[in-house]
Amino acid sequence: MSGTSESNETRHIENEPAPLSVPDGTLQPGQVLQSRYRILGVIGMGGMGAVYQARDLHFPTVARLVAVKEMVNMAQDQQIREATLRNFEREAEILATLNHPAIPQIYDYFSFGDRAYLVMEFIQGKDLEAIMNSIDGFLPVEQVRQWAIEICDVLSYLHNHKPEPIVFRDMKPSNVMIDHHRRVRLIDFGIAKTFQVGQPGTMIGTDGYAAPEQYKGLASPAADIYALGATLHHLLTRRDPRLEPPFSFNKRPIQSYNPNVPDGLVQIVMRALSYNPEDRYASAEAMKQSLEALGSHTSASPLQAAGAVYSGAPSRVGEAGGAVAVGTATSLNPIWAFKVEDAVRSRPLVHDGVVYVSSYDNNLWALNAGDGSLIWKFPTDGGLGSSPIYSGGTIYVGSTDQNLYAVDARTGKHRWIFRTAGRIYSTPCAALGLIFFGSDDGKLYAVRPGPVSAREMWSYNLMAPIRSSPVVVDERILFGTDAGEVACLDASGEMRWRFQTRRRVMSTPCVREGVVYIGSDDWYFYALDIEQGYPIWRYRTRGAVVSSPVYVDKLVYFGSADGTVYALEALGGSEVWKYTVGAPVTSSPAAYRDAIYIGGANGVLYCLHAKTGEPLWQFQSGGPILSSPRVADGVVYIGSDDQYVYALQA
Amino acid sequence: MKLLRRFFGPRGNREGHSVPLPPHMTPEEKRGESSPLPAPPLKTRPLEPPRPFSTLSRRIRIGIASDVGQARTSNQDAALAFMASAEMAGNPPPLGFVVVADGMGGHHDGELASAIAVQTLARHIIDEIVIPHLDGREYSAEQRTIPEVLSDSMHAANRAVQEQVPDGGTTATCAVIRGDLAYIAHVGDSRAYLISEGNVELITRDHSLVRRLQELGQLTAEEAEVYPHRNVLYRAIGQGESLEVDAATRRLPPSSSLLLCSDGLWSMVSEKKMLEILGEHRDPQEVCDRLVAAANASGGPDNITVVLVQMPD
Repeated sequence: MSGTSESNETRHIENEPAPLSVPDGTLQPGQVLQSRYRILGVIGMGGMGAVYQARDLHFPTVARLVAVKEMVNMAQDQQIREATLRNFEREAEILATLNHPAIPQIYDYFSFGDRAYLVMEFIQGKDLEAIMNSIDGFLPVEQVRQWAIEICDVLSYLHNHKPEPIVFRDMKPSNVMIDHHRRVRLIDFGIAKTFQVGQPGTMIGTDGYAAPEQYKGLASPAADIYALGATLHHLLTRRDPRLEPPFSFNKRPIQSYNPNVPDGLVQIVMRALSYNPEDRYASAEAMKQSLEALGSHTSASPLQAAGAVYSGAPSRVGEAGGAVAVGTATSLNPIWAFKVEDAVRSRPLVHDGVVYVSSYDNNLWALNAGDGSLIWKFPTDGGLGSSPIYSGGTIYVGSTDQNLYAVDARTGKHRWIFRTAGRIYSTPCAALGLIFFGSDDGKLYAVRPGPVSAREMWSYNLMAPIRSSPVVVDERILFGTDAGEVACLDASGEMRWRFQTRRRVMSTPCVREGVVYIGSDDWYFYALDIEQGYPIWRYRTRGAVVSSPVYVDKLVYFGSADGTVYALEALGGSEVWKYTVGAPVTSSPAAYRDAIYIGGANGVLYCLHAKTGEPLWQFQSGGPILSSPRVADGVVYIGSDDQYVYALQA
Repeated sequence: MKLLRRFFGPRGNREGHSVPLPPHMTPEEKRGESSPLPAPPLKTRPLEPPRPFSTLSRRIRIGIASDVGQARTSNQDAALAFMASAEMAGNPPPLGFVVVADGMGGHHDGELASAIAVQTLARHIIDEIVIPHLDGREYSAEQRTIPEVLSDSMHAANRAVQEQVPDGGTTATCAVIRGDLAYIAHVGDSRAYLISEGNVELITRDHSLVRRLQELGQLTAEEAEVYPHRNVLYRAIGQGESLEVDAATRRLPPSSSLLLCSDGLWSMVSEKKMLEILGEHRDPQEVCDRLVAAANASGGPDNITVVLVQMPD
């Protein structure tokens, strides 16, 4: 039991107890061993041999039942066979000296031929795996805690054995019996493992409960603590670790399966499950004390699952994967704030020390980026949902008064108006010497700007409002329509391809390395091939994706009305992280250095770590943030429905 | 004609500067003609300028080899390669798929499991990716994407193996190639490598105990080499209801190679040796045969299977 012998911890996955197929050589009922133990039947088959129920004939008048465990010596080499047998005898002797209520009594051991036998107390009851499988729901948490305390007690007894600690080595639900007195009893001591030999060929399935270091042949008391943690995790979550990647318990937060488990118990189990032995409990006794300290108040637990419903409390920090505690992200004060006269839902533009902001108050505002002082404002006849752009000394912006405006960037003086037949929410795009934008009249326009007027080069009638903003890449113009299409026109205004989604597309595409990334109100986020619009992948959220993606370093970021910010691997579409805001995210992210900035309808501007989604800081505004942030020179600019434009240190 | 519609649809309704709307028709009226959401008002595509048929050979080439090795009495691996190259109007991109599976289980269970997995994958991919590709439908959210079909196919293979070979299991590494994109789905410890310009990238992650211990820092690379349980998998096709499938997508650069193989190859032939053989031989079948020979020369303790997809220059 010293744990130095190399043991084979692997076996085939057993989803349920295999039917007892009795191989040749198994003892038949009626056979008598040592002229004393009459075999009554087989009660189990292990990897090394059978376990029998037998009657002890030394007690002729009473039916004294015993369990006889048979182990077949599989070793081929004669010297190894003998060493194996000596090992077994030595360990059986140690076992026989143990005295603890949870350890079955050893009455006898003997061997003949290639077989060794251990005669022990017959325990009536059911093992924890069978108990778990016999019910549909979760085991009562308090019951699991009590069992855990009893198991810690017996492990503590074994680990404190002198001169050498005894390592149980095979803690798992099926090795813990609950007897008819409802007491914990350990069965199947690691002694059996001396008889296991490695099998050739690729095998499937791992033990699931064993500690990482045990796979290197190191069995220590700390490995028993890990295996107890794994056993408790299985009992509390009903997720069988043998069916999961090894050592992946931290990927399966207990409370996301079973919200009844209190934080205290989760912490105890997860500490026992630390990869490194030194991070676990120093002893079973210490773990037992922690379990006892929990008391029996294990029923009520605060709802802490990831994706918790937004509470309406504006200062709340969303939880990323349920792991981030409230209060880890710091809040901060703006460098300046400027009040306009209605909501700001566009993305501010920063050029040459000036912040240009369009607002639903009909005005385009020019502010000093450094202190937020007013430089000029330019009135239109409708609210501005379109964001301003800069090109060649001119600011272009669309208005719900149906006009596209060209305004001198420096003076704020009107240059020209281009009239459409519908409201303009689409943000213009300057490329190829033209200005491209969509209108609620259903057309995508290409206009050539002049000093005092603009000339329409062409327009393409999509016959549905275009609120998505065109993006121009390699002479291709890409945008979405309210008819649910993603469209690709070429520079001469010919349709190259269309991709039909199931709902309108208000999101603006992002194009990188031949892939068009765009969201749809049909809850999906799409990656389309730029040549033909072929869907490379799509990712389903739980709400409309109005947010426009941003691409940084092989990841795409966007928000969804489901209240989540997503980071996906750009070419494959697999989730890298997601961050739960708890309120719709229609704001479009901005990337700056290692951070992603995005607003939520809960009024919060979030700064998230680009690689992990960890919240770095957040800023609470006085109204929903449907505006999208702009980051320039270390400063984040954002608007809010509270009618303010804020400048914050990035 | 269904096929051609995609490539030669009627002209779109571009409204040039010189072609104003008829005076009696406002944009609203024009929009009113169209059907409401979600059906798009325009289903066809505009005429593309005619392209001359290409005279250059731009084809993807494939090699495939599988060998019992030096120590085993049966070959439990399975492999399949399928490549459609087309030269016609519209320039449909090449489309194909390759699979490698390494079966496990006593008697004939291993070979059955790997064969059933490959058959199931092939059937699903042909039905749901290849046939729609040839049909030339317009692309829309109504069709499933390649990663979705691949994931479903792996689950179908999982069910098929469970039903038909309850005591067997298999790895499965599958790649669909469309144009220059490779979509990979993977379970087990067979591997996919992308080899380009002298670099070897291991795309897949082995679902093996030894790899997991390495990932956790419990084993060093040197310890892993001699670790006694190198052959233990924690995830495979045909082992339980639930199955988690790894997915990856890669762009295959010109002249690059995508190599799928069973552990009988990668455990015996180093990446350096792979590169060497790829550098010495141009024909993908020759490369596959040489790789198998190299694994056999190193002892060939396991079945050896390799499929090579070679991109055009």
